[in-house]
Amino acid sequence: MYKIMLCCSAGMSTSMLVRKMEEAAAQQGLPVEIKAFGVAEFDEQFSRYQVVLLGPQVKYMLQSLTAKTAGQNIPVQPIDMMDYGMQRGDKVLDFALSLIAAAHEKAAL
Amino acid sequence: MSSLYQSMIAVIEQSITPLAGRLGQQKYVIAIRDGFTAALPFMIIGSFMLVFIFPPFSATSTNSVARAWLDFSATYRDQLMLPFNLSMGVMTFFISVGIGASLGRQFALDPVMSGLLAFMAFLLVAAPYSNHTISTEYLSGQGIFTALITAIYATRVYAWLKHNNITIRLPKEVPTGVARSFEILIPVVVIIGTLHPLNLFIEAKTGMIIPQAIMHLLAPLVSASDSLPAILLSVLLCQIFWFAGIHGALIVTGIMNPFWMANLSANQAALAAGTVLPHIYLQGFWDHYLLIGGVGSTLPLAFLLLRSRATHLRTIGRMGIVPSFFNINEPILFGAPIIMNPLMFIPFVCVPMLNAVLAYTATRMGWLAQVVSLTPWTTPAPIGASWAANWAISPVVMCLVCMVLSALCYLPFLRAYERSLMKNEQEKAQANAPLAETAGTS
Repeated sequence: MYKIMLCCSAGMSTSMLVRKMEEAAAQQGLPVEIKAFGVAEFDEQFSRYQVVLLGPQVKYMLQSLTAKTAGQNIPVQPIDMMDYGMQRGDKVLDFALSLIAAAHEKAAL
Repeated sequence: MSSLYQSMIAVIEQSITPLAGRLGQQKYVIAIRDGFTAALPFMIIGSFMLVFIFPPFSATSTNSVARAWLDFSATYRDQLMLPFNLSMGVMTFFISVGIGASLGRQFALDPVMSGLLAFMAFLLVAAPYSNHTISTEYLSGQGIFTALITAIYATRVYAWLKHNNITIRLPKEVPTGVARSFEILIPVVVIIGTLHPLNLFIEAKTGMIIPQAIMHLLAPLVSASDSLPAILLSVLLCQIFWFAGIHGALIVTGIMNPFWMANLSANQAALAAGTVLPHIYLQGFWDHYLLIGGVGSTLPLAFLLLRSRATHLRTIGRMGIVPSFFNINEPILFGAPIIMNPLMFIPFVCVPMLNAVLAYTATRMGWLAQVVSLTPWTTPAPIGASWAANWAISPVVMCLVCMVLSALCYLPFLRAYERSLMKNEQEKAQANAPLAETAGTS
């Protein structure tokens, strides 16, 4: 089970992307749990997920949010603006999975 | 054009983004935003009661439904006022707890305890109690700035005491829950011991209690916040941040919210007293005239995209139109894109400012009903605008006028962008065509 968290200002616009990503995962037959939250909920939620993707409009918080996940091997990355705007669920899902894989490798070393 | 654009991008990356970063991650700005978000549902439902208390009909109406409604409101006014008074009327309670809890979380303190501590600090200075009654005068928007200050003070004190290990120590065998209930005792003592004498001292010196004194001091700022320059400046900031791809509304509303709430309370008090409503620039004005369909008032643009000749823009239009009704436009902003798109900069910044000037002027001329109610920002624009003004008709007309003008402003720029996109699409098609032929023959 891949656990992916999306995060934007109020969790509203990312929640649209969640559905697209779930559809893409279903097509590929991947078990996923994807949820969207507002930045205010970041602290309580992030540790339950393997990766956190930020809406590009809150990318400016990247540094401080990364600092919060330090040492837990949970990558935090912004979503590409175009993929976000076009709601390309498949591409964002691939991006999330690649980050999870990279984190796994890092942990294995 | 391109060098101008390059230098603009450079300014955005070097100064605007870091500024937004600093502002947007400022602990107190975050706490104020969280506090208001927590208090919002109580206030929205509370202010929804207004329509029952003040029916949206003229007092002399002869329509039977209107008559029945008016008579009902007149007979049961006190009963109807109660839920309003105990939600909107004491908004500072919810806001204090919300801000305290948010700051508590940020300082790694127990959020429930920090929320309650902030609440007590506020009550101590803003709720004069005598003869078994508490004056509610400063529990509404009039006490909002005091609530911010006391919440910040209370959590800072709590954090400082905890950080410096000034606490009551108990043996390890004591359960953690019990230990925590003791941990809070010293902060409570310190807060009572400082705020209460301070309040007494200020009252003795000036004849005003703390919230009264704070409102007195801030009066010029509060009245300046409700002026056309303030509206234009705040919306300009929001647009420039958003153009740079930063959630500017989050920052601007964080700063404006206390002013909006103080002014909303003043408008509601005037409505109840039957006097002229004093304020124009409130949350409802921002949400439903300046952000029709989201930042940049892009709902009209979404309609234009639906009929665009460029395939890409049509796709974005189809994807963006439904969320746009609920004022969510990220697919359009990032997908079209409008963000960092030099062709769309001018309309994106100017359209909301034009709406602001129109709606402000119309209100000043007495044509547009003012905001008295708090609404969810996701309410579709004409409905939200009407709801905010206690279901008046004039805001619907205003919204429609704004939308038509916005469409007209966006149109020429969209056409220019469309042309450049279509040129690209054609070039790509041409570049691919010979390839396809060779692939077919080999």
